[in-house]
Amino acid sequence: MTAADTREPLPGAGSAWPAERHAVAVLRLPWLYLVSRRAPAALGLLAGLAVLLWSALFWHWGISGGRAAQQFISLTIETAAAAVIAVTTYGPFGEPERATGRWLPYLRLGAAVALTAIAYGALAAGATGGALPGGTVALLRNLVGITGIGLLSAAAVGGAFGWTGPLAYLLVTEVALTGNPTTPWLWAARPPDDLGGALCAALLFAAGTAAVTLFGARDSGRRFTPE
Amino acid sequence: MTAATQAPARPVRARAGHLAPPLSFLRLLRIELRRSAMPWLLPLIAVLFWFDSYRPSTGQAPLYVLRTFWNMGQGHTIIDFGPFVAGVAAWMGSRDGRRRTADLVSGTAWPRWTAQLATWAATAIWAVAAYLVFTSVMFAVYASQGVQGQPPWWWVAVGATAVAAFSAAGFAVGVLRPSRFAAPLAAFGGFLAMIMSSQTGFHDSTGWALILPTNSNGNFQPDSGLLYPWLPDLQIARIMLLAGIAIAALGLLGLRARGDGPWLRWLAVAVTAAGVAAAGTAVGLATTARLSADGIVIPALHDAASDRPFSYTPVCGQAAGISVCLSPYYDRWLPEATAALGPVFSEMAGLPGAPVRATQVGAVYNSSDGGGQSMTIGGRPVVLSLSLGALALSDADGRATVDAGGRATVLAEQLRLLAVHAFVGAGNDVGTSAQQAVQAALLQDADVPFAAQPQLLTTSGLPSWAQAEGNGPPGPATGPIYAAARQLAALSPGARRAWLAAHLTALRSGQLTLGLAPTTANPAPKRAHR
Repeated sequence: MTAADTREPLPGAGSAWPAERHAVAVLRLPWLYLVSRRAPAALGLLAGLAVLLWSALFWHWGISGGRAAQQFISLTIETAAAAVIAVTTYGPFGEPERATGRWLPYLRLGAAVALTAIAYGALAAGATGGALPGGTVALLRNLVGITGIGLLSAAAVGGAFGWTGPLAYLLVTEVALTGNPTTPWLWAARPPDDLGGALCAALLFAAGTAAVTLFGARDSGRRFTPE
Repeated sequence: MTAATQAPARPVRARAGHLAPPLSFLRLLRIELRRSAMPWLLPLIAVLFWFDSYRPSTGQAPLYVLRTFWNMGQGHTIIDFGPFVAGVAAWMGSRDGRRRTADLVSGTAWPRWTAQLATWAATAIWAVAAYLVFTSVMFAVYASQGVQGQPPWWWVAVGATAVAAFSAAGFAVGVLRPSRFAAPLAAFGGFLAMIMSSQTGFHDSTGWALILPTNSNGNFQPDSGLLYPWLPDLQIARIMLLAGIAIAALGLLGLRARGDGPWLRWLAVAVTAAGVAAAGTAVGLATTARLSADGIVIPALHDAASDRPFSYTPVCGQAAGISVCLSPYYDRWLPEATAALGPVFSEMAGLPGAPVRATQVGAVYNSSDGGGQSMTIGGRPVVLSLSLGALALSDADGRATVDAGGRATVLAEQLRLLAVHAFVGAGNDVGTSAQQAVQAALLQDADVPFAAQPQLLTTSGLPSWAQAEGNGPPGPATGPIYAAARQLAALSPGARRAWLAAHLTALRSGQLTLGLAPTTANPAPKRAHR
């Protein structure tokens, strides 16, 4: 018996990897990854935020003040969506996962981008409840930029605390909107077609996804947060 | 064997409901303090506190009531702390649920509720202590900058209670919905609640909405802590509300805790009910609130001793020979006030009803009246009562407020406007057309040009009559009122004084009509009376 003989299928056995079984195997890993990141729960929360945005626009919730103040509730909801995406980067497995999963960077990248796209779609649907300040273009810019901040926070302090960056940015924006900020880093204060604000938001999103893709959230094998 | 050993063993009294010895609880608390995630977020909160609460206040005049209006009156210190504290507390509260160790720890000697309270207490201690430290540092910096007045300590107490309430509510969210999303859910829920309460607070100046910690309507008066004490009534009600929320949230945990025995369950019911009752009572008390000269009064909580204004030795200066006396807290603005009132007093000198002294009185913010301040002239001898609290005071660096037209003389012009408005007898109203015309002419003569007057009437700090429809929007000073004013201003000083002496009584009583205003050809017509 030679080694080549062992490659022969056993008598009576069918093809080892039929196409459908191969497809299931390919999807199994992303699915397990998404489940480990609680992506289904995140999708539920994003849907809830979309409903909240719809309600806020439909019933005209607002804050007294100028144009900037009027957009603050919708900005808060967009930031909450970004925070949810950031928290999904938290992984419970740490070092074993990083040591064995060569597809892990692609899974991280795919999950972050897909969840951002889904969040945008959900919030855009929620925006049909009324007039969203800045429209869906500003929604895209705000969501993408703040998600980038959330992903950077996750890479820096851990996925479980990825929400702190977006919340801090929201607080900074809240103060800045009471004045007349000129920096494009506070893109919420700029018109939707402002190139500088869009570039800053895109840059942060690129940096955030790159950080999470390459390094993952800080929790993974590098415990930081005392619990 | 002695008889002693044969004596029946005395049964050990079971510790009622496993009540924990305090020392053991303190040990557990110490462990939780070391394991808490709260300290890790304090540097971030400190930066935000500086950016959001402290930095915007530095542009205000160096008076505690103005410096702390944004960060205490409108609750920004709470907004900076609360959501983060709620998020961290939710993370700590969800610990057993996330790690699936709830069943494991239920079998320990400690009642679950007690252990959860230790975890919550550690988070709350870190958060409240940090809040008090950050606020104290901010006030210390204010003091080093020479900020005048009394700090709003009751608002600090409300903020600390609010932070504790956020921690309790967030912790309850974490225990009841243990997941990685509990923290952002609690944090953003808390943030949304705060900004929504700001919205309600801005709109509602009476009723239950006053209880909201971010509502500054009425209870943050322009001269609180300067000329009269901070009224604690509403703050006591707010503390009751926030403490009630915290107690009810913690009581809910006891209702859900497994294996703690029936009496602990009943205790949890009682605690929850007490919290709900406290919060409900606070809201009920807020509905009885009314605005007084010193702030919001809740009759059931009010102490009449709080109504006594501060006694002080005024600082005085001279404006055209008339004494102008202010509170020592306002002494930095005395030269500005005397310089502003001098030209006006020169015009008034010798005329009927002209003041012989000007004395500062406490300002009252009433949102239903536009929140602005008036002056009054009256008494024997005639005294001009002036309030400065809400006017456009220059900031800590002496930079004057600049209006939309770029003029940096807003405070002086506001003082002149209010003094002249009181002198012509217009009262708390825009005044008759004749009174407006005389007012405009006197202002023109006091270095407030006609062209600048419409803009002046729109500046903040003035009463609602300044923005009244009769004044029109800012624009060219035209129309019949300004035409009559120009006629009066064109008179020689002697002729104008004679005209005023003859017609002031009729003008103040509202009997003088605009069409009968004087002309250069007819400087003092007796027919001016209706």
